Amino acid sequence: MTEHDILRIKSLEISLMTGHNILNGIDLTIRAGRIHGVIGESGAGKSMIGSAIADTLPQGLEISRGAIEFDGLTLTDMNARTRRDLLGRDIGFIPQEPMSALNPSLTIGHQVCHHLARIGLRTAKTRQERAVELFTEVGLDRPWDLLQSYPHQLSGGMLQRVLIAMAFASNPRLVIADEPTTALDVTIQKKVVELIARTRAAHNTAVLFITHDLQLAADVCDDVSVLYAGRIVETGAAERIIHAPMHPYSRCLNLATPNLSGPKAQLMILPGTMPGPVDRMQMPGCEFALRCPLAEDQCHSTRPALDGVGTEHKSACHWPERTGLITAVEAPTGTAAGRLGEKLVLRATGLGKAYRQHDWLGRVREVHALRGLDFDVREGEFVGIVGESGSGKSSLTKLIVGLEDVSTGVLELVGLDRATAPRADFFDKVQLVFQDPQSALNPRRKIGRLVTQALEGRGGAYSAATRAELVKTLLAKVMLPPEVADRFPDQLSGGQKQRVNIARALCSNPQLLIADEIVSGLDVSVQAQILELLSALRKEAAFSLLLVSHDLAVVRHVCDRTLVMCKGEIVEQGPVEEVFGNPQHPYTRDLVAAAQGPTVSSI
Amino acid sequence: MFIAILRVIVRRLLAIVPVFAVVTVLVFGALRILPVDPAQMSLPPSATIEQVEAKREAMGLNRPIWTQYSMWAQAAITGDLGESAQYRTSTAAVVLDRLPATIELVICALIFAVCVGMTGGLLIFAVRGTALESVGLVVTSAVMALPDFLLALLFILLLGVLIPIFPVNGRLDPGMQVPSYTGFLLIDAVLTGDFRVIVSAFEHIALPVMALGLAFSPTIVRVLHASLINTYQQSYIQQARLRGLSDREILFGQALKNAIVPVVILVGTQFGGLFGGTLLVEMIFSFPGLGNLMVKAMQTADLSVIMAISLIYCATTLIFNSIADALAYLLNPRLRNG
Amino acid sequence: MMGKMYRLPDPGLLIGGSVALLVLVCGIFAPWIAPYHPNDQELLFILAPPVWADGGSMAHPLGTDSLGRDTLSRLIYGARTAVTVAAAASFGAMLLGAFFAHLAGYFGGWVDWIISRTVEIWLSFPPVVLSMLLITGLGIGIDKVILAIVLVDWTRFCRVLRSEVQVARGQDYVAFARLIGFSHFRVIIREIFPATLPMLITLLSLQMGISVVVEAILSFVAMGVPSDVPAWGQMIADARIDMYYAPWGLALPIFAIFLTVLSFNLFGDGLRRTLDPRHTAQRSA
Repeated sequence: MTEHDILRIKSLEISLMTGHNILNGIDLTIRAGRIHGVIGESGAGKSMIGSAIADTLPQGLEISRGAIEFDGLTLTDMNARTRRDLLGRDIGFIPQEPMSALNPSLTIGHQVCHHLARIGLRTAKTRQERAVELFTEVGLDRPWDLLQSYPHQLSGGMLQRVLIAMAFASNPRLVIADEPTTALDVTIQKKVVELIARTRAAHNTAVLFITHDLQLAADVCDDVSVLYAGRIVETGAAERIIHAPMHPYSRCLNLATPNLSGPKAQLMILPGTMPGPVDRMQMPGCEFALRCPLAEDQCHSTRPALDGVGTEHKSACHWPERTGLITAVEAPTGTAAGRLGEKLVLRATGLGKAYRQHDWLGRVREVHALRGLDFDVREGEFVGIVGESGSGKSSLTKLIVGLEDVSTGVLELVGLDRATAPRADFFDKVQLVFQDPQSALNPRRKIGRLVTQALEGRGGAYSAATRAELVKTLLAKVMLPPEVADRFPDQLSGGQKQRVNIARALCSNPQLLIADEIVSGLDVSVQAQILELLSALRKEAAFSLLLVSHDLAVVRHVCDRTLVMCKGEIVEQGPVEEVFGNPQHPYTRDLVAAAQGPTVSSI
Repeated sequence: MFIAILRVIVRRLLAIVPVFAVVTVLVFGALRILPVDPAQMSLPPSATIEQVEAKREAMGLNRPIWTQYSMWAQAAITGDLGESAQYRTSTAAVVLDRLPATIELVICALIFAVCVGMTGGLLIFAVRGTALESVGLVVTSAVMALPDFLLALLFILLLGVLIPIFPVNGRLDPGMQVPSYTGFLLIDAVLTGDFRVIVSAFEHIALPVMALGLAFSPTIVRVLHASLINTYQQSYIQQARLRGLSDREILFGQALKNAIVPVVILVGTQFGGLFGGTLLVEMIFSFPGLGNLMVKAMQTADLSVIMAISLIYCATTLIFNSIADALAYLLNPRLRNG
Repeated sequence: MMGKMYRLPDPGLLIGGSVALLVLVCGIFAPWIAPYHPNDQELLFILAPPVWADGGSMAHPLGTDSLGRDTLSRLIYGARTAVTVAAAASFGAMLLGAFFAHLAGYFGGWVDWIISRTVEIWLSFPPVVLSMLLITGLGIGIDKVILAIVLVDWTRFCRVLRSEVQVARGQDYVAFARLIGFSHFRVIIREIFPATLPMLITLLSLQMGISVVVEAILSFVAMGVPSDVPAWGQMIADARIDMYYAPWGLALPIFAIFLTVLSFNLFGDGLRRTLDPRHTAQRSA
């Protein structure tokens, strides 16, 4: 099979109406049958590449320079109509959120067949047969029934399969997959990525795979480009960029990602944030210089070009060979375990929760969200709870903090029975860090008032001065400068907001802190900051932590012990290394296998 | 499928029965509190005190109020709504006589409003992002500031007085007569086959319909416009575009079916406003319907007529609400098989 | 990016606000602005046309009505009635509606059930019919009109605000406030009410327009204010009889109502756009 270039992007530049560039001099080439990954954190501009190819850039953005060539045609010179004709026929798309990517009021069959009609299938019968064939190809069961279903009746994984089937239906030459697995559970992620890889092999399609997940990119892509602040900083074979990067940013990203195996190391912390389009204009040198551990004067004054550093491997750094000097700090071992107290801060025996659901006829149904949970948390211990959506981990956190009542069993917290002791006794001792800081921080309160909110409603025992003092201490604890006290939440970045969220929960010196998916949805570098913050806090404050997460590597990095939950039950628990290193329950084995990355047979 | 739709609608309609029962109690109670003596009202002014007292006894006015209510309710179920003090005949007959005119007016106005509103909403949406969109929205705001009774007066002033195109009184030209087959004048007029009569009937209803309908339409425009914009931000629209669908296919094939749901709900909940609007519009155009009758009944404190018409208003509002609810439910598969 | 960028206020907010303010000023200072007393009859000048029409004079810039009363003065005094009713009735409806909306939206369960069913029953009456029924019972007068509007239109606030409260209730910061021991009352006042306030103010502005219309309707059918109090609706009713030879008498009060309602609507919509958190987020991003 001849491998010619399907997509060739030449010095592409996308800018705002104000003249600030979102993307700068992007060069990217994909050959037929190859998967090319574009890796970047939010704000890097990675999704803009896909939008530029599809001619669906958001209002106010335009291609100000460069060209996009698709299989010999220059897209940027064509008129809108001809370009649109290519979409769905020669260029397919796999979206980020399968749940919302299909019209909720039309059946799957209607939408798939409509698409098949567009790509030239004449009769309704051939369309239906072809749809069923496609569904079978992507591994969907009972394809005939599926035609009559509405999108809300299918799970996210199934919908993504439908969308993949649609994307490949016309044998397109290029498929653009924009974070196709972010919204899915870990075990499903693996299958979907494998499916994309397999289907592309069957159709000899070129795939542009946009993701923020290094691990995923390493496993599925042939080539990878790393995007930082609108520029490609490194590009080359996936293997090399993940395991032997030649640009400090790639290296730092790698070191900031927690592992599921190998020695535990401290996560790499990048100071500050990625510069926005306006700030970039004022940087004559390398955009990464401000955060780079190796930066020298030259980095701030002259911008390095994207030059070759090996076979088909380019890096935009003045000293690519020094990249290897950046190393992770070994995590101090043993200290944490030694400080565990003897007392239990939480003991659950036979804990269960049932909800009564009324359907629209008024019939009552009991739904068991949690069944027979037995576990405990010792003083100073960090315990992780892992499980996929629907495993009951959120119900459990609600029970513990008292937003829901216990149905069966006993839940003892800080020596008190949750069911019988007055609510007020728990306020200072058990606190929750919410998942989404956007929703958890009242946008109308200043940070200073937010972090000390716990003092309100306790009578006027606190003077303004003590309160201000406490604000300063709390902000220092989470490594925020004191001046943020006068800002509103919307003026902070996502990572900063999550710190405020943590500081607020620490206000009353709780004995037990519950953190509900506090790093999901954060970029790798921000996640590293928060995780390291938790580790640092552990050294000075004596609190126990119950960390809920879907990410096993995150739990391994922070916790001593872990519980694995599935369908409202604890299927396995024990020390982190034991559970993840040698999983006993089949479900845990699935989870661990999925987290270790998909096994894509290389073709 | 048809049976399923019917079942949903019937279920919704059954659900309004208890609400309606409460409404009858409230209206009944409220009207009894009024400082008006129904017995005295139902007799000629020359009646003696003894005659009034006898009438009070006959009407059950000396008994406790709940007994009175149950008496009224029992009679009402058999179709007896009492006697109109103003016309001295059966209230039911008086009201039923006027009902078709109002129904005709409201339905025409609703159709007019939906046509104007949908067209307006789609047009303004089609020019989104341009200066024309702002112009359209300003015009919508302006029409919105003109309630139905002002529009009625304006139309009379402009199209009846200054440029007299349309007649402004009654339902037919003087001297014309239409035999009553169905009770609905427009249908009856068409049935006569007489062209002059048909034109006259439609000319007479034109201004009231336009006043009522135009007053209702800007709300539809705004809701449809907002709903379309909201729908276009959904991921599946973006996805449809990425599959290469044209703008027209996206609007009519993908977006409209979802965007229409808020409009259906709006028409259902705001129908009461449209229906209530007939009160003044009928009065202004001397249109012999329920609204006109109601205004007269309120001025003369004709309690049984007020009661009957109030209940018709409430029942119609509730029924339309339920139908809209059922429609919205049927348009949304997520609710339907959720 | 953090610095406050000065931006022109929303045009609707600006235009609507200034016209509404003008009407308000007319209402408050009516005795000082109006050239005549609104009920002074000059039988020599009956149905005088406005100054721009044939036979008009500056003595009565907007003409006179069938009793020789000065139209301009009656419009200005009519504004006084309209503004009084609009302000008092809207505020009352807001208080009542917001109170029940917060109860229903925050507590949910049976409290919500009862309040929602009550609103449903209320809404089964067409608003115009209900207000006229109430006036039939209450009798006429400014206070009665205000009371009738409050009793009819509180549901409008209740329904919209209830769902706003439910949205705020679902936010994690409300859950957090409960977790640190805030009382329900405190949560509602400190965490939920500020979140619903923008919508409340917007609805208040829109309700002012609605109240002006309802007052006009009631005066139009002589079920509003007493006949010696000038009101726009009443002026329309009076001028209707003579509209064939004095169309301005009808057009001017219609225009006054239109302008007032439009200004309140524009102001309300402008407020909604300005106070919309999504809008503000875009601005600060």
